[in-house]
Amino acid sequence: MSDLIVVESVSKRYVTSSGPIEALHDVSLSVGAGEFCTLIGPSGCGKSTLLGMLGGLVTADTGRLLVDGRPVNGPDPGRVATVFQDAGLFPWRTALENVEFGLELQGVPRERRRAVATELLGPLGLRDFAEKYPRELSGGLRQRVAIGRALAIDTQIILMDEPFGALDEQTRLLMGEWLLDIWRRTRKTVVFVTHSLHEALALSTRVMVMTARPGRIKRVLELPMPYPRAMESAEMVALRATLWSGIRDESLRAMGER
Amino acid sequence: MRVPALRAAILVLFLLAWEGVARTANPLLYVPPSAVLPAFGRLLALESYPDLVPSLLLTLREILVAYALAIAAGLGCGFALGLNRTIGRAYGPILAALYAVPAVVWYPSLMLFFGLDAASKIAFGFLLGFFPITLAVLAGIRQVSPHMLVVARAFGARPLVIFVKVMVPAMLFTLVGGLRTGLALSVIGVIVGEILGSRSGMGALINHAYGLFRTSDYVALVLVTLVLIVGSDALASLVERRAQRWTD
Ligand SMILES: Nc1ncnc2c1ncn2[C@@H]1O[C@H](COP(=O)(O)OP(=O)(O)O)[C@@H](O)[C@H]1O
Ligand SMILES: [Mg+2]
Repeated sequence: MSDLIVVESVSKRYVTSSGPIEALHDVSLSVGAGEFCTLIGPSGCGKSTLLGMLGGLVTADTGRLLVDGRPVNGPDPGRVATVFQDAGLFPWRTALENVEFGLELQGVPRERRRAVATELLGPLGLRDFAEKYPRELSGGLRQRVAIGRALAIDTQIILMDEPFGALDEQTRLLMGEWLLDIWRRTRKTVVFVTHSLHEALALSTRVMVMTARPGRIKRVLELPMPYPRAMESAEMVALRATLWSGIRDESLRAMGER
Repeated sequence: MRVPALRAAILVLFLLAWEGVARTANPLLYVPPSAVLPAFGRLLALESYPDLVPSLLLTLREILVAYALAIAAGLGCGFALGLNRTIGRAYGPILAALYAVPAVVWYPSLMLFFGLDAASKIAFGFLLGFFPITLAVLAGIRQVSPHMLVVARAFGARPLVIFVKVMVPAMLFTLVGGLRTGLALSVIGVIVGEILGSRSGMGALINHAYGLFRTSDYVALVLVTLVLIVGSDALASLVERRAQRWTD
């Protein structure tokens, strides 16, 4: 069993005041080491829930989740780091101090963690912003700090929940290129959630389309093409059409439900 | 530049009006500022009230003890009620009901329990300071974004670490605001307690001057007390601004 992440028949039901919501239904998937695996699907289909389970923040009702062969049982910052949809930075910490957060929790001495975080700021394009507080940073920069915070603890796996969802198109494209660069250099395993077809096709080694709630894996697209990808090539345009037809029905279903 | 000038202007205007009214009315009751100034001099020279310094120190000591107790109990109750749902549900409403009672109705019973000396003043200062601190802790806890807590948990923070590294910084500004209000009210509690009945402290001196119709001495004593109150609040506001710069 060479898969780094294994999800087997996982289901999740939230109990709310207006009745139970079935967020995930019998989801199974696996992700190999070094993959850039993207989940795409209509909003509310349980993508964040699934990522939360992988990060040990949400418990599954049924099924099991394995990371590196061991069952997930609470957050494990030694193996898994998460980048949240809204950066979730601590407003009373500078960019540098935010990046240091995970190392601080692990008891890394001050000098050492400062050195690690400072070294990360360069490739993150944050060198001039080390002493700035989150409120002084643009959305794109904040998201980079959040990515830096996740990279700093140097885990094998990084979970990213729509990290560029709140950014404008241009910034988003640039951040995508930048993330690709980092991923290719670090060879981490990424599980990525996005709404953007472009992002999914430009970045992933594999795309999983989820159904409207309750979420299931509807289809899986393997993308073995090299990077950077020519997004206007006939092959990519055809893939985009395939992906869109898979998502379109589910999005319509999700909209009809509202 | 203009703000201090405007402030000075209203002060001058007030003193002139006071002087004018006092001169046309009974100067024994409506003491004019021109008579307060010499009285203030005599007070500071320890002529009119030789025990000014020990009285001031006693009042200060009462305030410190009352405030320290209010902080300890306020933080303790606030966190117990705010962090534990069951305790919060059980005692929150009782606290709110008690807070709605004008605190001064407790004072006679405090004097019965604690006597005429420092203890009853401390108890009253404690009572007044306790509520704003407790309520600030409760408000602060509600302010902490649940998402921050999830983020901390994801990075491996345990409850105690979450408390120290996330909750306290996130609520610090509200907390410090409550501590400032608590100080102001502890000061007021002690001084009001002394005025309502005591044998020593600034309140006792004020009562003495007032009872003997030594109105200018009375006003001078009130001014000294005022300096104490304004000074302590200025100190607290300094701390508050520090905290603000740090948190926001
Ligand atoms: N803590 C929760 N309590 C109740 N319902 C929740 C909770 N978290 C998510 N949900 C519901 O579960 C469904 C899936 O949510 P989520 O995983 O956030 O979807 P996605 O990330 O794909 O938009 C949604 O309908 C959402 O409202
Ligand atoms: Mg989501």
